[in-house]
Amino acid sequence: MRQTILQGLEQAYGNLVHMIADFLPRFLVMLIIIVAGLLVAFLLKYILRIVLSVTKLDQVSEQAGASGILRAAHLPSMTALISRSIFWLTWIGFILLGLSVLGVASLQEQISRLFQFLPEVFVGILILIVGLMTANFLSRAALLAGVNAGHRSARIVSWSIRFLIWILTISMTLEELGVARQTVISAFSIIFGALMFGLAIAFGLGGQDLARKALEKYLGNTPQKEKDKEPQPL
Amino acid sequence: MAEDTILADDLIRQLISVGEVDLLVGISSQGNAIATSHTFRAIEQSFQQNFTRQRAVIVNVCRGDTEGSDASGAALGGSQENSAPLARSLRTVQRVTADFSVLPSPGLALRTVLTAADLLRARACAMVSPGTSDLTPDRIANLLTPVIRENFDFVAPLYSRHKFQGLLARNLLYPMSRALFCCGIRELYSDEWGFSGRLASACLSQDVWHEESIQTRPEAWMAISAISNDFRCCQAFLGQRLQTATGPGPDIVEVFRQTVGNLFWCMESRQSTWLDCRRSESVQTFGPEHELTSEQTDLDPHRIFEMFRNGVAELEPILSSILDPETHAEINSIVACKESSFRFRPDLWVRTLYDFAASYHHAVMNRDHLVQALVPLYRGMTYSFLTEHSDSSATEMEEASENLCAEFERQKPYLMEKWKAKIEVKS
Amino acid sequence: MALQKDNLWYKDAVIYQLHVRTFCDSNADGVGDFAGLTQRLDYLQDLGITAIWLLPFFPSPLRDDGYDIADYTSVHASYGSLEDFKAFLLAAHTRGMRIIIEMVLNHTSDQHPWFKEARSSRENPKRDWYVWSQTDLRYEGVPIIFVDTETSNWAWDPVSKSYYWHRFFSHQPDLNFDNPAVLEALWKIMCFWLDLGIDGFRFDAVPYLVEREGTPCENLPETHAIIRDLRKRLDLAYPGKMLLAEANNWPVNVRAYFGNGDEFHTAFHFPLMPRMFLSVKLEDRKPIIDIFDQTPEIPDNCQWCIFLRNHDELTLEMVTDIERDYMYDEYATDKTMRINRGIRRRLAPMMDNDRRRIELLNGLLMSMPGTPIVYYGDEIGMGDNIYLGDRNGVRTPMQWNGDVNAGFSTADPERLYSPVISNAVYGYQAINVESQIRSGHSILLWMKSLIKLRNSYQVFGRGSIQFLKPANHRVLAYVRQFGGETVLIVNNLSSSAQAVELDVRGFKGFIPIEMFGRNLFPRFGEVPYLLTLGPYQFYWFQLRRI
Repeated sequence: MRQTILQGLEQAYGNLVHMIADFLPRFLVMLIIIVAGLLVAFLLKYILRIVLSVTKLDQVSEQAGASGILRAAHLPSMTALISRSIFWLTWIGFILLGLSVLGVASLQEQISRLFQFLPEVFVGILILIVGLMTANFLSRAALLAGVNAGHRSARIVSWSIRFLIWILTISMTLEELGVARQTVISAFSIIFGALMFGLAIAFGLGGQDLARKALEKYLGNTPQKEKDKEPQPL
Repeated sequence: MAEDTILADDLIRQLISVGEVDLLVGISSQGNAIATSHTFRAIEQSFQQNFTRQRAVIVNVCRGDTEGSDASGAALGGSQENSAPLARSLRTVQRVTADFSVLPSPGLALRTVLTAADLLRARACAMVSPGTSDLTPDRIANLLTPVIRENFDFVAPLYSRHKFQGLLARNLLYPMSRALFCCGIRELYSDEWGFSGRLASACLSQDVWHEESIQTRPEAWMAISAISNDFRCCQAFLGQRLQTATGPGPDIVEVFRQTVGNLFWCMESRQSTWLDCRRSESVQTFGPEHELTSEQTDLDPHRIFEMFRNGVAELEPILSSILDPETHAEINSIVACKESSFRFRPDLWVRTLYDFAASYHHAVMNRDHLVQALVPLYRGMTYSFLTEHSDSSATEMEEASENLCAEFERQKPYLMEKWKAKIEVKS
Repeated sequence: MALQKDNLWYKDAVIYQLHVRTFCDSNADGVGDFAGLTQRLDYLQDLGITAIWLLPFFPSPLRDDGYDIADYTSVHASYGSLEDFKAFLLAAHTRGMRIIIEMVLNHTSDQHPWFKEARSSRENPKRDWYVWSQTDLRYEGVPIIFVDTETSNWAWDPVSKSYYWHRFFSHQPDLNFDNPAVLEALWKIMCFWLDLGIDGFRFDAVPYLVEREGTPCENLPETHAIIRDLRKRLDLAYPGKMLLAEANNWPVNVRAYFGNGDEFHTAFHFPLMPRMFLSVKLEDRKPIIDIFDQTPEIPDNCQWCIFLRNHDELTLEMVTDIERDYMYDEYATDKTMRINRGIRRRLAPMMDNDRRRIELLNGLLMSMPGTPIVYYGDEIGMGDNIYLGDRNGVRTPMQWNGDVNAGFSTADPERLYSPVISNAVYGYQAINVESQIRSGHSILLWMKSLIKLRNSYQVFGRGSIQFLKPANHRVLAYVRQFGGETVLIVNNLSSSAQAVELDVRGFKGFIPIEMFGRNLFPRFGEVPYLLTLGPYQFYWFQLRRI
């Protein structure tokens, strides 16, 4: 019995050594990959920072209003955000690659699914960013136009535009990510339709005069009296 | 492709027939045949009365199928050789028409005229507006004479105005451009001005013709180019500013886009000029320096003040990202004042404008939005001006104008500091 | 070479204007004479001249270069005798050249026997041959012609203690055409010369023959009646002779002097002349086009006479004030060059001795409608002397060669009636006939070929004119047509090369043949015909449909 135990222990030890001997190289490869990935990620981050600084992305982003959104969300600047994102994406990619070298089957499957989901995530983020920027731009444009034309409801119109575009953007983002697709589409349709219906009634019945004045102004028939109340600037 | 469309074969053929000229007057027909026809007559009379010996040509830039292009031929019944015998002019007055498939923008029209002036080696040129039937031969002569007789390169107009007319020019465009570019041209934005062939060639060689600012309002850029490159500038009194015959004109936001936006763009493109410029120099003036009238007007200051106050409140988040915090705070404090005691101090106004200019340079937001955001503040300044000068004489108003100019110059270092500062970005 | 029998000979003529005194001196007295002129007729024949217009050669005190005539039927002793004149006339006719002489109807010299008689007493039969008045108030407001020297059209006669009328110098009293005897006397004078064989008269100062109160005393109907009378007599007694009117006036007024083809045969087109100079200086055809627009049609048997320069100042009467000022500023910068509302300079100095411009103006002269008159010396580019007083600067001796006195005379230089031009540019050593005959490309030889070309075609003298008005105003282009001859003339009035597109659709299918070199040019079609011309260059194209 002692012999068996010793044999068993010897065998188990041997298996362990064998496992370790088998696992260790892969582990070492994984580590190498992860470290290499870290270096590559730093390098990419550094290069990207330089390139984005030269192309003045932060300024463009200021103009577009995206930087404002980032500041409001306590996020770093667009250059920092992108470069950091690329850093993490690269490194995570290398980590996942390293993990896949380990040869753990279930882990490999999850990693594979994650990689398949990544493009949709990117598109979703892109839709969100573009949508938020558009909302910002158009709402600001509407606000300025309304204020300068002397309309009292300029802010309401501006927020309405911003809200509508947000709703649209979020719906599209969720749809892209595949999150409760049917629910999102239905909810959006209902909300948007109801909003439009309400506006049509409000504008068409309650705002006839306003509609008429707006059309007259658009067609250039504004009574001269209105314009004469302000001195000619040139 | 823009290069190809400016010199169509037909235009070249016409220019060949004209040959070298001494005088060139350019007009950009806007489709009003009656006004264009009157303009042609006024120009030709000016040539006959004031420049009998000079070789002259009129360049009409228009859309090919409008009444404007017909008017150029029909103005005097076709060729001038069929006109009454013993006409006073010694020479044939040439007419050239540049037809475009779409109505040419002011920038394209100017570029065409400059090209013609360059090719024809014109000595003195003028751009005039065909949009009115009030153009007189003397106006044209006043634009050309300083160039052809006194060797000036740029002639800006001076107008007789109502004291409350042209406040944008009086309170913003003139003092700001004077402080920045050190040249006291009062009317940088107008529809009529004179220039030399030398200046035309210099402007033509610059690669700015694709810029939107040049397309809408090229005249200020031309004046600033002249100042920047040491061309001789002057002003000539023309009388009343002509009103366009085709309606009340663009609204204030559009005016701001075309003028203030253009001025900010000029600051961008001519940084080296105004950053180095230290003291403004006076500009020679032909005729009275200024003429103000003060008949009754139909202005509504209360409405202007309401729009200012409402505008500042509604645009709070936008203004906060444009203005310096101290400036913004001061504006908020004056907004809270009663209407009767409201005053937009000159130093605050100047600081506001400089903040806007610096923010434009740093592109803190879409530049068109930034310019529009200035409109309510301009209204505040306008209201303050109207109430402060309701009973002022012309001399008092001129004194106030000079004080404002001095304030712009005094605070120029502030602008330069803000201009050169880097925007801090969170990282 | 006999004279061609053609009553319309003046339409095809090339007339050469000269003063006997200036041309050639045969007897070494310092003054040109008929004998000397006769010796030089070969030169004129070789040049292509077909008619010679002689300035006054009659006995005269010479206070107005011979226009103050003291004897109408003789020859001034300085120029020879009547026999010399007859010999000259015969020699000219033998060479195919006709002779036109002056007939000063309007006035005589105050040394003329008629005036001497008229002034001797108020009862003298010839008293009424002149226009007298007790005061100088008659015909008030009538303009003075010689403004530089005269202050009134009346002069006081101390002999008869009354005023006499004179439109020109005070020593040239006007004849009174209200007296029929005057006309008869003048007709007799005309017959005298016609009987000798002369071919035409230039009537000097025609518009001023008759005076009437309340009028400007010019161009009156009575004047035309007198001319018609003379013309009628001329046609009856001397067919084929020519009358040339000197009427410095607008074409529409001069038109009246043609009548219905029953007054003058020819008349000077005065207003065209300064406008040719204007056009070249302005580099713009407008002045020429304008004056042609104002030139009315004339009867078929009539003709304009055109010229560039003559013995008088280049008159600026028939231009606007603006044009006059411009001409003064451009062509007479030195005020010494100006006289009597005109410019007393010759062609070559006015053109700054620019050969191209001289050729261009002569090309215009030879191709525009009318009979061209060449002023002596202009064919070799003679200069002037503005310091000689009055208009004598353009009446200096003809320059024949580089010898002493320019070959004009063998007299001592101090004896010459006028000094020869002797500066470095226009002096006789540089500008003379002999050197230009020997030089292959001289102005003289060029003029000779130009005149020869003109004489080869009747279209220049008799043809119509149609202006093409291309967009390039620096180019003057016109078509002359007569019978089967069609000629296109294209002139570059500018100092720089020009391109021009001509609308020749009316001549579609014609082939232009450049007339100097006889080279073919591309056929005319539907599209505008492109031509390029060098500075001051001109083309003469014969258009043929082959």
